[in-house]
Amino acid sequence: MSNYKRASQPGRSSILSTLQATTMLDTKPVLPAEILVSILDFLPVSDQISFAKTSRRMKEMVYDDTRWVSRLRSMGCWDEAEARRRFEEAIKRKREAAERANAAAAGVTPFSRQADYTIRRRTGGGATKKLAEEAAKAPEIRNSQEDPSTILDIYKNVRSIRGYARQEYGKIYGALAPFYYDLAQAKSHTEPAVFKAFRDPEKQAQMLRNLQRFFQNDWAQGWNERGETLTNMCNIFENAVLREFEQGYESWDVDGRMQRYAHVLHDLNGGNAAMDVFVSKHPILNNRDALGNPMDCINQAPEGGITLEPSRAFFKALAIKINEQSAVISQIFPDAETVFWSLLDKIREDIIGEYVTPILDESHDRNLEAYLKAASGLFEQCMAFVGSLDPPSKSKESLETHAKDFGLKTFDPHLDLYFREELDFFKEYAEREVLNWEQKLSEQDASVESFYMGSFNRRADKNDFLSSFKKVVMMPVTVLPTIPISSPFGSSKSTAAAANGGTVRPDSIMGMPVASSVHHPRAALMANRLEGIKSLFSIEVALDLVHNAKEGLGRVAVFIRLGGQAGEEAREQCEAIFITLLKVLGQNHVKNGFVKAVEHLSKYKAREVSDHDQAGVAPLVTFIELVNVGDLISQMIDVFYEQQLAAPKISDRNDFLDPAGLAKKKWEQMLDESVAAGLNKGIDVLMDEVEYICATTQLPTDYNPPPASLEKGSQQDGDMGPTQTAIRVRDLVASHTNMLVGSTEKTMLDVFNGEVGLRLFTAICKHLKRQRVSTEGAIKLIADMTLYFEYIRGLKNQDLLAYFKALRELSQIYLIDAKHAKEMATVIADGDRFGGIFRAEEVYEYAERRADWYQVKRNVERAMYGMDCSLM
Amino acid sequence: MAATEATTIRLQSNDNHVIDVDKAVAERSLLIKNMLEDLGDAAVSETIPIPNVTEPVLRKVIEWCEHHRGDPPATNEEESDTRKRTTEIEEWDQKFMQVDQEMLFEIILASNYLDIKPLLDVGCKTVANMIKGKSPEEIRKTFNITNDFTPEEEEQIRRENEWAEDR
Repeated sequence: MSNYKRASQPGRSSILSTLQATTMLDTKPVLPAEILVSILDFLPVSDQISFAKTSRRMKEMVYDDTRWVSRLRSMGCWDEAEARRRFEEAIKRKREAAERANAAAAGVTPFSRQADYTIRRRTGGGATKKLAEEAAKAPEIRNSQEDPSTILDIYKNVRSIRGYARQEYGKIYGALAPFYYDLAQAKSHTEPAVFKAFRDPEKQAQMLRNLQRFFQNDWAQGWNERGETLTNMCNIFENAVLREFEQGYESWDVDGRMQRYAHVLHDLNGGNAAMDVFVSKHPILNNRDALGNPMDCINQAPEGGITLEPSRAFFKALAIKINEQSAVISQIFPDAETVFWSLLDKIREDIIGEYVTPILDESHDRNLEAYLKAASGLFEQCMAFVGSLDPPSKSKESLETHAKDFGLKTFDPHLDLYFREELDFFKEYAEREVLNWEQKLSEQDASVESFYMGSFNRRADKNDFLSSFKKVVMMPVTVLPTIPISSPFGSSKSTAAAANGGTVRPDSIMGMPVASSVHHPRAALMANRLEGIKSLFSIEVALDLVHNAKEGLGRVAVFIRLGGQAGEEAREQCEAIFITLLKVLGQNHVKNGFVKAVEHLSKYKAREVSDHDQAGVAPLVTFIELVNVGDLISQMIDVFYEQQLAAPKISDRNDFLDPAGLAKKKWEQMLDESVAAGLNKGIDVLMDEVEYICATTQLPTDYNPPPASLEKGSQQDGDMGPTQTAIRVRDLVASHTNMLVGSTEKTMLDVFNGEVGLRLFTAICKHLKRQRVSTEGAIKLIADMTLYFEYIRGLKNQDLLAYFKALRELSQIYLIDAKHAKEMATVIADGDRFGGIFRAEEVYEYAERRADWYQVKRNVERAMYGMDCSLM
Repeated sequence: MAATEATTIRLQSNDNHVIDVDKAVAERSLLIKNMLEDLGDAAVSETIPIPNVTEPVLRKVIEWCEHHRGDPPATNEEESDTRKRTTEIEEWDQKFMQVDQEMLFEIILASNYLDIKPLLDVGCKTVANMIKGKSPEEIRKTFNITNDFTPEEEEQIRRENEWAEDR
């Protein structure tokens, strides 16, 4: 204990004073303490001890704990945490002792506490005794040195105790220094005492390792010569052992020599040499041809295609072989896992690399799609292969990281090319498809004769379609040949397209839809029903593109699990494919379609079209169908995004800077804009049509039936209902507004309906002003107006309703008999009656349309203005 | 500093000898270097007194500095724990240190005072080599240390360190 205290607070001042005292005696220059300390640092241990024996100050200087701690640390056997723990324990014991002393002094210890205290004192006493024992061990070192096994394990028994570093160091030094200095002076490998004292190679290796560790704290003069000798000895020893190991290896003496010498080498320096020999000479590397020929994948496949069945067999065979080796390795090597992975590394380089690269190169030269499938498929097989391995130590996590590493290293040279080709391939394909379709369209001029979806229950159909689509999208992309299908949009098609040089393939659009592969019968069914809609863009093309995108995406997504930079690149690639899909589909396909539709709309002149019998305005119907289809495609894209990008975390839905999300927003915006632009035009066209119908079909007698004599005839019809014209107009408008229900946004629909209603109102007003209405005809007129009113009420738009209500009220002024001019005037002047829609002047204008206006005018005006018009 | 590379400065030993030294050489001493930096150009023309060092020792130190003028500046980090602190002395330094013990100690003291760490190290290493393998009594003589142990204490310390005795 006393030792410890002094070491922790060295009495430097006393040293100085003594030194000064000595100066008085002698004229020799005397070195100050700090210089002596640095001189001490350069001394070998034995001389330091001699120094300690010269005087008390020197002893303190030499015994200073930090000096020895740093030596222990240089050999890597000082654990600061352990030292602190011990130190704190000691402090705690001391404090407890002090408390106990206080408690005893206070003399107020109840019985229970007394007992507690006794117990504590006992344990405390035990601990103190232990410390004392530890301290007492130092002199026993000599004895322990006799036992060779203690020397072998000397480093394991070192403890980190503050204040006792010198003693602990002493144990190590006592055990190892004799061997160390002996070996340093040895001239040949037969001389050193180490090899004499320890006969078996295991122990020799352990000792050499200990000595190498001991060498770390030798920094006295001549250390590098000593180190060299030591290293030479170790090398000689290692080579000898390695030779033994190799001989064992050649005779495949797994349990005997191989195991033994692998352990020896491991003890010596981690056994890297044995590992290298084992890995580099492993027999598995020599008969790689037995595992399979890479060209099988290409040769066994149909022309231009690729089959991954041979490669699967290859990986399986390899996995079996390696798992066999795994068992052998764990028998031979103490550090089996490292050896295993290093062997695997070698296998990856020499076998898998040699297998994969030719396949990829060859398929790249032959057929791009085959290449894409091969790259993705081989990668997945490769990952599955690593997953199926049975490494010596069973840590799941390390297998996973190794698998990633493995995949990355194997495919690293191919990744860039693959990603680029994948994107290009999809882009090219998509653009070609769209172009083909457009060519086809321009040949057929599909917009003239179309079937419409109008006859279906639109919303139900769409839901049906979407749900089946969802199912299709959720199906995993199968690139592995375990399920023997030809890809739905397989190589045959693309090669055909390439062969035709972009000419229109007659079967692809009209015939069985491309989408109708084994995957998705329902989708095919739906596509069949929709196939009639040969509008300006095609849901079928969209479906086809989405499926292709999904395939490409699925292939690339496999690489995401690589993590790190490659994984990130793969993720970006997925997004890029999605963006390309949207771009091609949006810009080239849908937008063009809309532009064309709007063009058709604007060219439409109601008066120039001869046939007005059909229910709708043809271009507008086409357009509205387009809106429907566009909406369907949009929903499809949405589902696709959710399933393929958002769900597997490829794209972050909440990241507003995410390129895929942005592209999707842009696409939706584009769609909305196109729809809005088209609708605008559509309303014009619709109103043209309305006006045309009004102008051409409304008979002058409708509202102004010929008086008396012929009146009977019309009465005979019992026709109190609305006129033919009104019904047609109503039907026309209603059919168009109905078409949009369910396909456009509610707000947009409201705006559209509002606009249509207003324009309809204007048109009717205009029409009304051109008519002449008799009191008899007023009944018909009222019926017409009620018809419009009822229709508008169906739209549930209050603002709009007011207009038509006013219109209905207005029509009543024609009903008023000519005799009641005064009442008529009241009605005309009554602004409230029309809800503010018509001003009195306007109503007056309508009143002018009365057939008998010139008879009633005077009376009405008099009633209105309260006097005769003097000018008249 | 680059501009004043060729300038010389004057050092004065404690026995009033003046020695002209290249500034670059004198700056091997951190003491002088820092002083020159603090004082600026004014100091260059002045004679710098080195009060603790006699002329022969100062000349010896300057000789060392001349020889080592091109050495890379010593790193400031204290590398006390690593074995980087090698004990090897290069040949020229070994020859340089072949002086009597008194001179050796003077050089060490001067290099300590002038703050020339590499020279101090060389000196300490030389001393360390000198006393290597010597008995405690011989060490006492070398360093002028008086033995203040009681015989019991001497016995105890011997017992405590038996492990280090014979190699």
